[in-house]
Amino acid sequence: MRSDIIRTYKAVHTWTGITTGLLLFVAFYAGALTMFKAPLLRWAEPAVLAPAPAVLSGDQLIARTLAQRPETAKEFTLHLEGPLRLSWQKTRRDDSPFIAAPDADGSIAIGQTRSAGLDWLVDVIHRTGGLPLDVETGTMVTGLAAGLYTVALVSGLIILLPSLIKDLFALRLGHNLKRLWLDAHNLVGLFSLPFHLVMALSAVVFGWHDLLYDSLNEAVYKGQMRTVMRASNPPAPFAGDKSTAVPLGVDVLLAHVAVVAPGFRPTSLQYRDFGTKAATVRVSGEDPRYLVRGHGFLLLGAVSGSVIGTEYLPGQQGVWASVVSSFFALHFGSFGGDTVRWGYFALGLAGAFLFYSGNLLWIESRRRRQRGGDECPGQSRSSRTMAALTVGICLGCVAGLSAAIVAARWLQGVFIDVNGWSRGIYYIIFVLALFIALRHGAARAAAPLLGLAALCTAAIPLSSLLLWRSAVPGIDVVAACGAVVLAVLARKTAARAAHGPADSVWSAAHNAKKV
Amino acid sequence: MKTDWWSKSLAGIVAGFTLALALAGLFAWAGPGGINAVNKYQLIMWMVAPLWLSAVSLVFLFPSGCHAWAWLGGANVCAWIALVLTRSWLG
Repeated sequence: MRSDIIRTYKAVHTWTGITTGLLLFVAFYAGALTMFKAPLLRWAEPAVLAPAPAVLSGDQLIARTLAQRPETAKEFTLHLEGPLRLSWQKTRRDDSPFIAAPDADGSIAIGQTRSAGLDWLVDVIHRTGGLPLDVETGTMVTGLAAGLYTVALVSGLIILLPSLIKDLFALRLGHNLKRLWLDAHNLVGLFSLPFHLVMALSAVVFGWHDLLYDSLNEAVYKGQMRTVMRASNPPAPFAGDKSTAVPLGVDVLLAHVAVVAPGFRPTSLQYRDFGTKAATVRVSGEDPRYLVRGHGFLLLGAVSGSVIGTEYLPGQQGVWASVVSSFFALHFGSFGGDTVRWGYFALGLAGAFLFYSGNLLWIESRRRRQRGGDECPGQSRSSRTMAALTVGICLGCVAGLSAAIVAARWLQGVFIDVNGWSRGIYYIIFVLALFIALRHGAARAAAPLLGLAALCTAAIPLSSLLLWRSAVPGIDVVAACGAVVLAVLARKTAARAAHGPADSVWSAAHNAKKV
Repeated sequence: MKTDWWSKSLAGIVAGFTLALALAGLFAWAGPGGINAVNKYQLIMWMVAPLWLSAVSLVFLFPSGCHAWAWLGGANVCAWIALVLTRSWLG
């Protein structure tokens, strides 16, 4: 390929990469953790989520809750996983829904959730890239970054193509450390390219689907997009009919589901307009044999048990819906069970490494070297700032997430809004790390911050040891391994800052006082 | 080869977007199932992102900003004429 094209795309790769790398690091690290958000939640609040002996049936729970809170009939969800409970929200975006669960004597306890919502927290940080924004705005920013990141992926591939065969399997361990980092960056980037393209393009869609739909509505659908959408979701029979009608029992409904969709494992039933002729129930569940969006569902009439819609039921979707579902599944890793979950976890961490190494390469290619007996040149301001931001943001995110996980466990039952507390602790650690890095420079801050990240992560298995209980020992094992890796890196980094070459942004000797 | 950062970037972002809309629209109307196929609109929306970003990514291959605008603009004119014709013919 012509050298001027390569040069142009090197510039494109540098700019798109350096502007989005840090946000994407956070999104990928938190995203890797979301693969295990259900076990994380079980780990943090074993008492809340342990299945309790069933004192009431689902039908009894619904009847008794509605007797106390008749307004709930409009919309509520019966959960079949974990302890039997009903939940409902005041609004769609309500973060702490109401929960009704039977006490041991069969009376109903109603309260706002005290759940740490650790799954929610990790997910929010993933979607917003750790920016302190509401989820919708944050997802738009992440979507914009994902657009630039797509361009970074294509340009990276174009740069690599001419020397692909020569460079691909080369991992040149020599004195040239920059070459080694570049080889590692290329290797990880190329082998996880399909994963990264899927993530980048789907994140663009998640952030900007409203803009895309609005534009298509004007340009393609002649303003009739809503009609087309509505035609894809057939209305329930008797919609709007408020006359009283008794719905089928939970067991009967589940028997209907088993006939329509054998192999589908229902996890929750969302009722609408309960007690009226128009009542519907949306049976959500899982079927690991298919590519589905996290959860698939079947829509039934609650009174007759008739099937209203199977467009989101795994294996019974139309062609178009199943293609789109596969995009969601490829982003969420919601197929193939644990094997895929571990694979996505590894690919997510590898992605975080890709962005981290990209920043290191940026800094290294701007390095001012010491020549002969000259005085050691200081590194440029932009290199020092970028190094400090990289260290502060990446390590702040790692330490902050570990601290939030530990906090969720210890604050369980202490505060009602454990959610807010865990998120607050994430940001306190994150901002602290960023402050230390900017104040003292990357060289001085890196080792202590790695130590902090190791400590916070080690606190996960230590908590389980102290409480002498762990609902998910696997989490403790993985966290212990992570803590050891971080501790080793902390030692090596400290040695480099003290004894490494002085003409480097990572040397404590020459950069300490200049940031 | 000229760099023309602003001109090429804008060509990719703006003309690339309108081209992606028109191509997705052509597939919506003339592709299998026609415009009203159940839930096809979702895939059409998903199609726009890769088409658009392909344009943004590859626009820097053009020798100059003028070339980028000329080619993408020409492709836009063709695609939009085809879309308008298909839309009025099938709609």
